[in-house]
Amino acid sequence: MAVLVDITKCIGCEGCTVACKRYNNLNFKAKPRNVKDDGNVELDDNRWTVIQEFHGEKNDKLRFVKKQCLHCKEPACASACFSKAIQKDEKTGAVVYYPDLCVGCRYCLVACPYSIPKYQWNEQFPQVSKCQMCSERVSKGDAPACVSACTTGALMSGDRDELLKKAHEIINSDSRYINHVYGEHEVGGAEWLYISDVPFEELGFKDVSNVPVTSYTKSYLSKVPGLAACWALFLSGIAFYNYRVDKNRNQIHDPHDNDDQDKEG
Amino acid sequence: MSNKMSRRKFLKVVAGSGVLGFGVMASGCKGKPSGGDGWVSSQYEGKGDFPVNLKGRVAISATNPSIERDDEKCILCGQCVDACKNVMGVYGNYPLPLKQEIACVGCGQCVMQCPSGAITEKSHVRKVLDALDDDTKHVVVQTAPATKVSLGEEFGMPQGTSVGKKMAGALKAAGFDSVFDTCFAADLTIMEEASEFVHRLTKKKDEIPHLTSCCPGWVKYCEYFYPELMHNLSTCKSPQNMLGATIKSFYADKMGINPSNIVNVSIMPCTAKKFEVGREELEVDGQQDMDYVLTTRELAVLLKHKGIDLNTVAEAEYDSVLGESTGAGRIFGATGGVTEAAVRTAYYLATGSNPPADLLDWKPIRGMQSVKEAVASIPGVGAVNIAVCHGLENARQLLEGIKATGSSKWQFIEFMACPGGCIGGGGQPKSMDAVEAKKKRIEAIYKEDTGAAKRCSHDNAEIQSIYKDFFGKPLSEKAEKYLHTTFVNRHDRLFD
Repeated sequence: MAVLVDITKCIGCEGCTVACKRYNNLNFKAKPRNVKDDGNVELDDNRWTVIQEFHGEKNDKLRFVKKQCLHCKEPACASACFSKAIQKDEKTGAVVYYPDLCVGCRYCLVACPYSIPKYQWNEQFPQVSKCQMCSERVSKGDAPACVSACTTGALMSGDRDELLKKAHEIINSDSRYINHVYGEHEVGGAEWLYISDVPFEELGFKDVSNVPVTSYTKSYLSKVPGLAACWALFLSGIAFYNYRVDKNRNQIHDPHDNDDQDKEG
Repeated sequence: MSNKMSRRKFLKVVAGSGVLGFGVMASGCKGKPSGGDGWVSSQYEGKGDFPVNLKGRVAISATNPSIERDDEKCILCGQCVDACKNVMGVYGNYPLPLKQEIACVGCGQCVMQCPSGAITEKSHVRKVLDALDDDTKHVVVQTAPATKVSLGEEFGMPQGTSVGKKMAGALKAAGFDSVFDTCFAADLTIMEEASEFVHRLTKKKDEIPHLTSCCPGWVKYCEYFYPELMHNLSTCKSPQNMLGATIKSFYADKMGINPSNIVNVSIMPCTAKKFEVGREELEVDGQQDMDYVLTTRELAVLLKHKGIDLNTVAEAEYDSVLGESTGAGRIFGATGGVTEAAVRTAYYLATGSNPPADLLDWKPIRGMQSVKEAVASIPGVGAVNIAVCHGLENARQLLEGIKATGSSKWQFIEFMACPGGCIGGGGQPKSMDAVEAKKKRIEAIYKEDTGAAKRCSHDNAEIQSIYKDFFGKPLSEKAEKYLHTTFVNRHDRLFD
């Protein structure tokens, strides 16, 4: 399951953000935690998706950009999580957070190339919060809540390959579009795809490399379990050796040694 | 201290829970993912592609001067989209991607349709209360004709109760320094607009059809979607702003008050008025005509805040000089009212005598039909074809027809943004049976007209005196300065 966002069709009604808050039972009253210099509100623990407003250089291109987790194909957050609290759901493609497994280390906040995961700083037992792509709805075959609430057709959900095909068809049929599907290759590709008629850099999109973040560490982190096992085996060997040396020495000098220890004690 | 934990025992527990946790994780147990424990409206259940008639909501910019929305109350029912698209012809009638702004004419019909009360007017109540408490300010208030037949509903009175005098009394009790009547300004508007229409009919035929301009929702709609018709709009300001400009000039002079110390408040059935008061074109001598607009609903809030009950408050007359009104001024609040009032005075201006009885009870242009047509025979001018249109989607269809044929068969067209005219405005009390409420309010308005001693704007003694003392005559240089305006082409904010 993937979503294609056609930025040119968004009118900024923010119905998607309301649908998200309703479906995920988020707090409407919570004040925005992160407001950028340009006045746009950033994601926080009660805003799993936000709409950001951009005006263009000559104030003639009013564009609204929906921001939420992009659900990477190779999620850095999931690879950073040592307790497997963030997992990529193979069936739906959603990168899902399981609070019961979370230890609260917040490595995922640091790992994400888009700074998407946020933390419930006000809670006594805080959790990480981020878009779940309505994994329960999606696994039933429904569209995410935000997509089904979109009136103008700016959000479309469906199979990733088909949406990619559609995105390129739209770009090819209309010369106003930038020839770039954001999310097709970014850090290895994502389930959320964006097309736009304004360069993505002007709309607050981060210019990231096409190399999956996980690939930087995979080559050596994948050897960690083996190394750990070898190291444990090595230490066990030394421990056993020392134990044997001790035991043998005790058998030879048993009475004196005991006397020495008594004296020292 | 039998449960005292040794260091060894503590380390065992920590290591044990670690191993247990690792076991749980490794075995694939993961519990419930976060989120998904709320609800969404039923039309969003399922795959999201079920063809429902209504979904989503309209976009409301944070800088919108007329309306705002509380997301917590929004249930995404889609009623606002219905109002904006099917009643007002705004939503969906501009191209995407957007250009400079989110199109909104400020009519407030989405407010009326919103079942959960999420969309409301942008409140000016606090600012008006502050002005009332400020002793250095002279706070003047005016009340629109349509509010006089609807305010009672907010206090439990039956629909269609005329409460003009009670409202004047309540406003005086609330501490306003002067209470004037927008119906007076409606008469003033008719003097200017009827003169302008007769002038256009006889001398400036390229400005025919004459389009009314007292509805700020319609004016902004015209500026957005039909800029080529802007020169057909009457240059008259709306009654609200005519009175505002008169108060800050004529009245301020007369009373010896510095205009900058006057705070002009109006009670309007309308949310678009909140946009209108901020228009730069309406400024005279660097001053805004009007300062704050309260909708009928906001006035109810203000009166209740002050502990004033409309049921028990003493009646009062509107203050003199700008308080007398005729039947013609009072029917401004209903669709067709402006036309009827204008024709009465145009007849007088053309012939020198008051119109016959059938023009004083002009049935063809009354009622809720979307487009009403009539012919007025005015001796000396001839037959004047008139159309009356309310609801901007109806206006759009009518204007598209004119655009397609290239000419208009009507010489005078009245446009009101809201269905039913101002009595159905976006600032009016909400009710469960809106259709019935509109009918009753219209009946009440025409009852006030037939009950009036004077039925024509030009018979208004205070109007006659203000022309004598201040403006000279309709369309004079002074009248042009204070009572007329220009329009702004907003087409390129939406279209390429």
